[in-house]
Amino acid sequence: MFTTGSKLLIGSSVIAAISAIAYGVAQDGVMGTVGLASAAVALAFLAGINIYTNDSNIWDDEIASVETAPAAARPPANSIWPMAFALGAAVLTVGLVTYQAVFVVGVVLLLASGAEWTAEAWAERASADAAFNAEVRSRIANPLEFPLAAAIGIGIIVYSFSRIMLWLSKTNTVIAFAVLGVIILTVAFLAAYRPGLKSRAAVGAIAVGVLALVAGGAAAGLDGEREIKEHETTEGLTEEGEEICLSPEEFEADEKASQSVGAQANVAAEITLTEAGELDFDVVGPVESPDQLTLPRSNPNNVIFINESDHERRLSVDLTVPPAEAVEDEGPLLKCTTLVEPGGRQNITLTIGAPSFAAPDGYFFFVPGVESARLELVVP
Amino acid sequence: MLIAGCAQDAPQDTWDPAGPNAQDIHNLQWPVFAIAGVVGVIVLTFIAIIIVKFRDRGQAIPEQTHGKPALEIGLTILPALILIGVAIPTVGTLMALNETDDTECIINVTGQQWWWEVDYAQQDGCGGIAEPIVTSGQMIIPVNTPVLVRGTSRDVIHSWWIPRLNGKKDMVPGRVHTVRLEADEPGIYAGQCTEFCGLSHANMRMEVVALTEEDFETWKAQQLAPYEAPIGDDTLAATGESTFIAQCSRCHQVNGLEDADGQPVIARPDLQVYSGAAPNLSYFMTRNTFAGATWDLLTDECRANVWESDPETFGEKYLAGVSEDCLNSVDLREWLRNAPAKKPMYADPTQLEDTNGLVRGMPNLALSEDQIDELVAYLLERK
Repeated sequence: MFTTGSKLLIGSSVIAAISAIAYGVAQDGVMGTVGLASAAVALAFLAGINIYTNDSNIWDDEIASVETAPAAARPPANSIWPMAFALGAAVLTVGLVTYQAVFVVGVVLLLASGAEWTAEAWAERASADAAFNAEVRSRIANPLEFPLAAAIGIGIIVYSFSRIMLWLSKTNTVIAFAVLGVIILTVAFLAAYRPGLKSRAAVGAIAVGVLALVAGGAAAGLDGEREIKEHETTEGLTEEGEEICLSPEEFEADEKASQSVGAQANVAAEITLTEAGELDFDVVGPVESPDQLTLPRSNPNNVIFINESDHERRLSVDLTVPPAEAVEDEGPLLKCTTLVEPGGRQNITLTIGAPSFAAPDGYFFFVPGVESARLELVVP
Repeated sequence: MLIAGCAQDAPQDTWDPAGPNAQDIHNLQWPVFAIAGVVGVIVLTFIAIIIVKFRDRGQAIPEQTHGKPALEIGLTILPALILIGVAIPTVGTLMALNETDDTECIINVTGQQWWWEVDYAQQDGCGGIAEPIVTSGQMIIPVNTPVLVRGTSRDVIHSWWIPRLNGKKDMVPGRVHTVRLEADEPGIYAGQCTEFCGLSHANMRMEVVALTEEDFETWKAQQLAPYEAPIGDDTLAATGESTFIAQCSRCHQVNGLEDADGQPVIARPDLQVYSGAAPNLSYFMTRNTFAGATWDLLTDECRANVWESDPETFGEKYLAGVSEDCLNSVDLREWLRNAPAKKPMYADPTQLEDTNGLVRGMPNLALSEDQIDELVAYLLERK
């Protein structure tokens, strides 16, 4: 008459009632007694319902009910998603009190495992055939899973690739990935011309390669990037108390400066230090005036300096103006290229805020160490 | 399109060239348009025939064949020949339009949100320019003279287009692009920025004003005339000069303007405005427009008098500038009263986080009506 569930609830109710009495007698506490008595009443209530519904059991002689009862259905297969969901919830909670990144990982894990769990649970109700249910699940989930997994996989590979690139020196980067490129091409070539090559072997080789790349990326990422020198600007730069832009000598900034030439296809002007020690210039289209170069105000003007002299030279420009109202006087404003070797060229970008007529002597380009090299700059 | 094509007052009509460069484009676009039209008609006709003739009437599916080499080769060669026929004059025209060596006058144009600055460097071209000239909104060119426009931008990509004089050209920060311009007759040729450049892109217009050689010399002389301070100490214009120095000169340059100590007033828009520039107002009333050529400085009647004048009298009327009687004071006062309300420019100080506190255009200076009166009186003398 009494099912297992009924017995459990009745027993629990009796224990709670006895405990309430014992607690009330032994301890001088009202709340504990009330709590235990409440539990006894609640458990007794549940026991009554359980007895009334016969613990949802069916009688053996009700054949139809036996066959259609949920209990008769195949139990769901083992699933990792509830555990992943719980882990996501835990990580999310930890993230709330630690780091934002941990929180985000928790959210992602929670959402992903929740979606997978939902799809799986939904598919398990499709029929009594487990294989069919699995197919239903795949049909629903795969269109989302495959692209997402591919994106994540590619992202991991690209990120690992970039970490290795940034870890290696500039030269070794070129060598390493040239070699890698050759290996990939060779393997691809062999695969194409060796149809007998087993696909399992190819997949294995690719998997090993990807694992090596990811492992290398992780190691390189942990070790950190190589030292990347910032491009030196010579604006207002002094060394040993000497203004670089006024000197023909070589400074540390010249040694460290990037030797690359920003020779854009389209520049505002090209200024050439001729063998005769004069500054000549060329602009897009005809030259308006051979005596002065005009550049627009407040624009990033790219100017190429070409050194045709026999010595290392830099191009400097004096853009000093009296300080504007409410602006701190920062002294002379000099900008220059680093030392350019004979026959070399270098780009300098000039953004000039004040008009040249604001400067008492106007603006002018000059080459330190070459008195005759001087060119007026007009900024209207 | 049909209705737009019927427009009579269309100052930006590409089918109405007014100079040799635009004429070259016009000469090219007609045959190209005709070829494209014929091809279009043939293709559409075939489609119509096929739709009608082979429509589904319950007939059996026709025999399925794979490929007809002769037809495929023919339909590959024929379009290729047509495209070659179109490409030859197109490339020739493009090369001719890119030629710069024969130009006789160089003008720099710089775009920024949302107006064009025009400057003339010292040069022997343009009939000789002794000192740099800076203006905005309107580019003045000598008629029948090949002009080279060197253009760039201070902030975002803009596009310079005067449809009746030449094609469009993007103006890109850090690059210098060139456009040839030449007008056959004196007159005003309208254009507007054709690269979306922000909130007031639609309010970024420009005009090219072509003058006879003689009138162009007069215009140059106007632009290089020494500064004349308002006469008297207690006139509205004289007070306006002080108001201008106090309220406007941080951004707007007026050449020759001096402060109470006799020191030159140098505008530093680079410290105030995101683009680093503001229109030079030295000869403001010699122009017909303001605020990116969006509004006229002339009343409708006076504007029509200039725009609709014949080529012989155009120069004289244009060079007369803006008089008190012809001043469109309504729009100018509205502009001075609250510029961002008239032309959206992100000038709200609460929206400046991304520009480091710099305004994108003229902000609302909260001028009083008296100050506006003073400034209008002062600006009226800037010619």
